[in-house]
Amino acid sequence: MNLSRVRAVTYKEWREILRDRLFFAMAFGLPVLMFLVLGYGISFDVEKITFAVLDQDRTAMSRDFLHRFIDSRYFDYKGDVSNEHDLDPLLADSDIRFAIIIPPRFQEQLLAGQTTSVQSLIDGVFPYRAEIAKGYLSAIIANFNAQSLADYLARTRGISKEQALSQVSPVRLESRYLYNQALRSQWSMSSGLMMLVLIVTPPILTALGVVREKENGSIYNIYASTISRNEFILGKFVPYLLISCLNILVLWWLVMHIFGTPFKGDPLFYYIASVIYVICTAGIGLLVSVLVRTQISAVTLTMVISFVPAMLYSGLLVPIESMGMGTKTEAHLFPTLYYLRISWGSFLKGLGWAELWFDVTALIFYAILIWVIGFLNFHKRPSE
Amino acid sequence: MSTHAFLLWWNRIIAMTVKELKQLKRDLVLLLIIAYFFTLDIYMAGNGINLNLHNASVMVIDHDHSAASRELIYRFRQPYFAFKGEITSKNEAENLLNKGRLLAVLDIPENFQSDVLQGKPVAVQLQVDTSNTVLGTLASTYASEIATDYGQELMIKRLGLNTEQMTAIPVIQSQHRVLYNPNRIDSWFMSIMEMFNATTILSMMLPAAAAVREKERGTIEQLTVSPLSSLQILLPKVISMGLVILLGIAVSLFLIIIPAFNLPVKGSISLFFAASALYVFTTSGIGLFIATISRNLGQVSMLVILLMMPILLLSGAWTAPETMPQSIRWAMTISPLYYYNEISYAILLKGAGVDILWDSILGLSALGVVFFSFGVWRFRRQFD
Repeated sequence: MNLSRVRAVTYKEWREILRDRLFFAMAFGLPVLMFLVLGYGISFDVEKITFAVLDQDRTAMSRDFLHRFIDSRYFDYKGDVSNEHDLDPLLADSDIRFAIIIPPRFQEQLLAGQTTSVQSLIDGVFPYRAEIAKGYLSAIIANFNAQSLADYLARTRGISKEQALSQVSPVRLESRYLYNQALRSQWSMSSGLMMLVLIVTPPILTALGVVREKENGSIYNIYASTISRNEFILGKFVPYLLISCLNILVLWWLVMHIFGTPFKGDPLFYYIASVIYVICTAGIGLLVSVLVRTQISAVTLTMVISFVPAMLYSGLLVPIESMGMGTKTEAHLFPTLYYLRISWGSFLKGLGWAELWFDVTALIFYAILIWVIGFLNFHKRPSE
Repeated sequence: MSTHAFLLWWNRIIAMTVKELKQLKRDLVLLLIIAYFFTLDIYMAGNGINLNLHNASVMVIDHDHSAASRELIYRFRQPYFAFKGEITSKNEAENLLNKGRLLAVLDIPENFQSDVLQGKPVAVQLQVDTSNTVLGTLASTYASEIATDYGQELMIKRLGLNTEQMTAIPVIQSQHRVLYNPNRIDSWFMSIMEMFNATTILSMMLPAAAAVREKERGTIEQLTVSPLSSLQILLPKVISMGLVILLGIAVSLFLIIIPAFNLPVKGSISLFFAASALYVFTTSGIGLFIATISRNLGQVSMLVILLMMPILLLSGAWTAPETMPQSIRWAMTISPLYYYNEISYAILLKGAGVDILWDSILGLSALGVVFFSFGVWRFRRQFD
């Protein structure tokens, strides 16, 4: 390999990037913009769930029960209706996510020491949100029940209210949240977004590198020259890699200072792992560029194999643990899963080489594989 | 306009549409990618992906080893949890949590059984990995439900109430009814969402690429000196790519989503396709606008990604609009996918019709007209 030839290709590529001002600006601007919009926008804190009420009892006790929902920050009260049929259009138009129906004689039954029932209608179109809403509902009802039961016991068995309360809920679960004590989804989202942003922009930047020359016909200059395959691919690759290496630092800064996520791990380890990850992701773009003939297919193919898996199979939006066997295997075929573990491990858990060596090895293996496939498929003598 | 002029106008549109389709047909790789997007990709997204907590690994430090503690442990089972055995020390627990082998560790204190039997309140500790806040939250919610239920059963037993007397205590029994997707099948939501992802990516990218390609190759000059108007040049690009995408939607809906995941289509299929055509038209308008401000496909793809990522992730499918910051919520009202999500999930799963969805349909149409006319206007201005 002749390094001066590599440098020549790199220099040519760099000049081309610089000349295309919009492209150049986007190479640095896109990751930052994407990161900020998604970092602020994506939130899995399920809050302000909209709901409506059908109160067929309208007594002090039913109002007290409903106020537990209305006053909670998890729910957003949208008013009450007088008829069950009025709930259907509200749910169908997504104006509300659930409805609570309180039966007639609610207060009367409870005061008489009888069990009553409250119905809730939950919009199940987004199953995850339905599940959370159901959890909150059950928790509020369980809390109401405990108090109501304690009152009842205090009255009927002649014990004090405190005693009754402790008898009603004998086992209490104390959760200790590790790594993210305040359960800030922005912490896990922003550090996880490093993975997403770094698999979207670097491959798109590089995807056009070789195929552009193919489509323009300028590739024949390369074919006719003395440069070797390796030198050409490497030369094409270096400028985009450097851009991405700089972007890693910018994103890292944003994660820590804009989103306030702590970094507990080893910075050197994390930077090296990130550079290897970028070699993988930018390599995907380059590989695609070598394999296809037109720019549009290069760009769409890159989206298929980088962006879609990053959303679905990385563990950021969809938990890996909950996947079926087939999907889980598939998730392990993409580099995103390993890098997400490295990101969360480094930022939130404070892990380093000792715990994450396997994930880094997987990334190195991935990078080598992409490089070899790309090299074997790039020919200076096209078959046509 | 005379009949002749009218026919001529449409003849030109048809001729140009055929030209675009022929050009697409020549790019075999691109056709394969489109086919993959609407079949296999959607199948994989719907199959084996589960957004809920499912088989989360839990281990236990049991300091009590009694019948009561075993009974509690036994309740941490599928579908939400998978009990992975017992460990003895906190260090070991921490180590396994660090490595991500476990999601949670349950710590049962000494004298658990005797305290519980004497009616003393006991606290059980759960250490949860919350580096992924979604999983962490779900795990601690379910775990506390388990503990509460267990405690209440104990209480009822100790008070000597049997099941017949269960109606004789003043509590609320909650009856949840999950509408539209009663079994909370994630495949319905996931596969439809992935179909929309594919639709969005392609309907933004394909017309934009078709337009900018003419610029890059210089064939745009030929078109502008021909008797075609700007609208006659741009509209066929949208029509041809739109037809391909609608065909893709039909294939994925009828050949993948309905047969493989048993999606019950509740509403009108023709209304769904009309809404989809409107959506494709609107997003194509954004694509065309991007094509008019860029000079090559590199610029197009950067700008497409810049707009596409927030559109895909923030339009209400992944994160509920009500949890997002107000500024981003406001920005999302100009995202066509925001309206399309509302409309199509409501048609397909809730059986809603125009009477309920008219406002969203109106919003989507308005966006479509604005984006498209803006694109055509920009395009025309380029050559003045």
